[in-house]
Amino acid sequence: MIAGAWLCLLAPLAGALLITLAGTRISRAAAAWISTGSVFLGFAGAVDAFIRVLGESPEDRTHLSTAYTWVTAGSFKVSMQILVDPVSLTMMLIVTGVGGLIVWYSMGYMKGEDEERRYFAYMALFVFAMLMLVMGGNLLLLLVGWGLVGLASYLLIGFYHERPEAVAAAKKAFLMNAIGDATMALGFFLLIAKTGTLAFPTEASAGALSSSTANLVALGLLGGAIAKSAQLPLHTWLPDAMEGPTPVSALIHAATMVTAGVYLIVRTHLIFQAAPDVQHLSAVLGGITIVVAGVIALVQWDIKRVIAYSTMSQIGYMFLAAGLGAYGYAMFHLMTHAFFKALLFLSAGVIIHHLAGEQDIRKMGGLRKVMPFTHAAFLVGALALAGIPPLSGFWSKDGIIASSFAEGGVLGYSLFALALLGALLTGAYTFRLYFLVFHGPPSDLVLEHAGGHGSGHAHGTEGAEGHGEHAHGEGPLSMLIPVGILTVLAAIGGLLVIPGVWEPFLTWIDSVAEPLVTATPGQDYATSVLAVSIGGIGIWLAWRAFVAGRELVATGGIRTALEHKLYFDELYDAVFSRPAQLVANLLRERVEEPVVQGSLPEIGAGVEDAADGTARLQSGLLRSYALVVAASVAVLVVVFVAVR
Amino acid sequence: MLGPDVTWYLAISAVLFAIGATGVVLRRSPLIVLLSLEIMLNASNLAFVGFSRHFGTVDGQIFALCVMAVAAAEVCVGLGMIVAFSRRRMALDVDTLTELHG
Amino acid sequence: MGNFLVWVIWIVAALACVSTGVAVISFTNPFYSALALIGNLASLAVLFLLASAEFVAAAQILVYAGAVMVMFLFVIAYLGGRADAPWAGGPRWLQLGAFAVGAALLIEVIVALVTKANGGLSNAADISRSFGSPAEIGKLFLADHLLAFEITSIVLLVAAVGGVVLGMKAAAEDEVEA
Repeated sequence: MIAGAWLCLLAPLAGALLITLAGTRISRAAAAWISTGSVFLGFAGAVDAFIRVLGESPEDRTHLSTAYTWVTAGSFKVSMQILVDPVSLTMMLIVTGVGGLIVWYSMGYMKGEDEERRYFAYMALFVFAMLMLVMGGNLLLLLVGWGLVGLASYLLIGFYHERPEAVAAAKKAFLMNAIGDATMALGFFLLIAKTGTLAFPTEASAGALSSSTANLVALGLLGGAIAKSAQLPLHTWLPDAMEGPTPVSALIHAATMVTAGVYLIVRTHLIFQAAPDVQHLSAVLGGITIVVAGVIALVQWDIKRVIAYSTMSQIGYMFLAAGLGAYGYAMFHLMTHAFFKALLFLSAGVIIHHLAGEQDIRKMGGLRKVMPFTHAAFLVGALALAGIPPLSGFWSKDGIIASSFAEGGVLGYSLFALALLGALLTGAYTFRLYFLVFHGPPSDLVLEHAGGHGSGHAHGTEGAEGHGEHAHGEGPLSMLIPVGILTVLAAIGGLLVIPGVWEPFLTWIDSVAEPLVTATPGQDYATSVLAVSIGGIGIWLAWRAFVAGRELVATGGIRTALEHKLYFDELYDAVFSRPAQLVANLLRERVEEPVVQGSLPEIGAGVEDAADGTARLQSGLLRSYALVVAASVAVLVVVFVAVR
Repeated sequence: MLGPDVTWYLAISAVLFAIGATGVVLRRSPLIVLLSLEIMLNASNLAFVGFSRHFGTVDGQIFALCVMAVAAAEVCVGLGMIVAFSRRRMALDVDTLTELHG
Repeated sequence: MGNFLVWVIWIVAALACVSTGVAVISFTNPFYSALALIGNLASLAVLFLLASAEFVAAAQILVYAGAVMVMFLFVIAYLGGRADAPWAGGPRWLQLGAFAVGAALLIEVIVALVTKANGGLSNAADISRSFGSPAEIGKLFLADHLLAFEITSIVLLVAAVGGVVLGMKAAAEDEVEA
């Protein structure tokens, strides 16, 4: 089991290294296969570990395996160790499973792109980094993984490095993540100062922290979590990150990396529980993000950006759950979200690929007839996202909503209201997207490309690989099969928790993180009915607007504000970016150029002057030399006489 | 010891040495410079001899003799140089011999 | 009585030494300077005699005053006495510096002497009658200081060769010049 876990961690790394070292000596297809194979190999390792751990009793399920001692500094010691327990196993399975499907999908999607091998190496690197994050046995290794996924994200967002927008988006993502990294590091410093160790918190160690320390450390961790998971206020990088290729958006910015913040909170929940104010803060931020992201999504025209804001919103649900202490549901929603969000992104990718790169939904329409397979997949994903039973999203999201209701009090009820509002918005924006893309008369662009995937395209006669069926004319099999698998998972994945009947997933997570709040089955079903009906109202509103041919948000002040993403970018630009540039320019003019650069010729001139001055001593006048000799003798005599 | 003891000899030696040093730096003609150098060397000879008498060992006088021999050698070479200068119609003036300038 | 005579002779010789020394650096005519130096050497020889260094005194007269100074006089006669005032030409500071240096050296030694050099100069040693005789000198030269003896002879050889080389009329060079 431990061997399986180590295999899981190291296989993608080996894949990445292999592709990097082989360089152009291997073909592009070979690089793609190595990458996919290594991730699936990791999945096999994870499954093996999972099966074995499943067979153990709940108390025994935590395994810490140490490879070697990495850092020793006095009494502070950090080892290279991995932790295999239910939470990390869940993440391992999701990352390698969904990740493997997405890398497989990329084989078809990225075919014919420049520098494919670089892409596959980066994808394998990312999977390794994410696994390091979730499998790391102590906070330092978690931080290593954290930083590496940030790096991989930067590399992959900026994959199309000749596009200035992509480069700018990559930098933005990296910078905002760096803010989170900094707060996390500060939290860790405090932990080392107060406890002398960076091991994961236990009941004893968390209890030993003073409340101010716990608050500061939890704030630091929260900072990192909200940066990585794109919650308010550090959320502005996620929409821009859509500049990367669509599989990247699916893997990194929907299924795995952005959920790292949730994982962090669950992993360190004991510290958060020792700092309840911070924990409630994370729930509140999550709740606000649900609504803000939801309304902004209502006015977006780019298919990927709608899904990105949707991701932001759904992660808000996870933060809400973790903030209230419903860790099981947070992880559960993480899992189901991975399924249906990856499904949505990959289907969008099939559409984009089919339409030769078009992402504007105003140019789409009527794809239902042209791409039936993709239509079915997308519909399943959309329904799951909106929380319609019996699809996966329903079970997880409603568990969260029920938990907020069960919490009660001002916090609980206000979060409940936000969550319900979120359900309304989710239904609305998801189905606005669905109707605009798939329904109505086919747009000109769609008709142009409607001759099946093989015709009218620069690359590939992919039609040759299909078995002649029209559905497979939508895209290559390597793209369609993963979409199919994800469709199935998005449909049935939620059946792991049926409240009151069987809850294996919740008990699975409980052994690591006991929930602070549990809803009774009665509360659960009541809130579910409410949430589903509200979601249904959202869908109906979208339908009505579509039929009437108008937008959900009327033009005017509100729409303009939403189109500008509530001016967050402008705010940050004014508050942070402009002053920083001002200071930098000022320093350059006042300090760098005159002092540093100007001083160099000055120093040279000074040395020259000194040399000239000294050269004048050597006049060639013999008598002056003799005088100097005699004078030195005189001085020496004094020295000798004085010293005796 | 009959007569003045060694401090007097040393005093005379010091005076002669100072006179010689002044002459070396002051005069411009290389001949006079050489002569001043001779005075300095003789002053040191006097000091050696004085000390030799004071300590009762002859080694000081041995050294004085060596100094005399070296002085003779040096004068020989120095005068040869001066003759060479005048042969080449160069001015006999140390101030004009400035080839060693920086 | 004997001591008094010694003192008188000593004082006379010392005064002669100093005055001829001053004369050497003061005359404009190098011929006169050379003659003054001969006087200086002779008075020094007297002082040597008074310090029981007979052989050195003899060597001083024979070698220094006899051979070296004669060589000087030959060269001065050959070159013609070119006159220049003692303090003519050169930077002012150089002239002042010359006197300053001389004075400094003098004062330092006088100070050292006056403080009696920690009492190291109090008692002169007793000497035998053969102190300073050629026999003594010879014994030391050929026994303790043989190396110095040999090296000095090599120095003299080198100087002789150097003198000849410097004085040689390089035939081609003179023809080109003339």
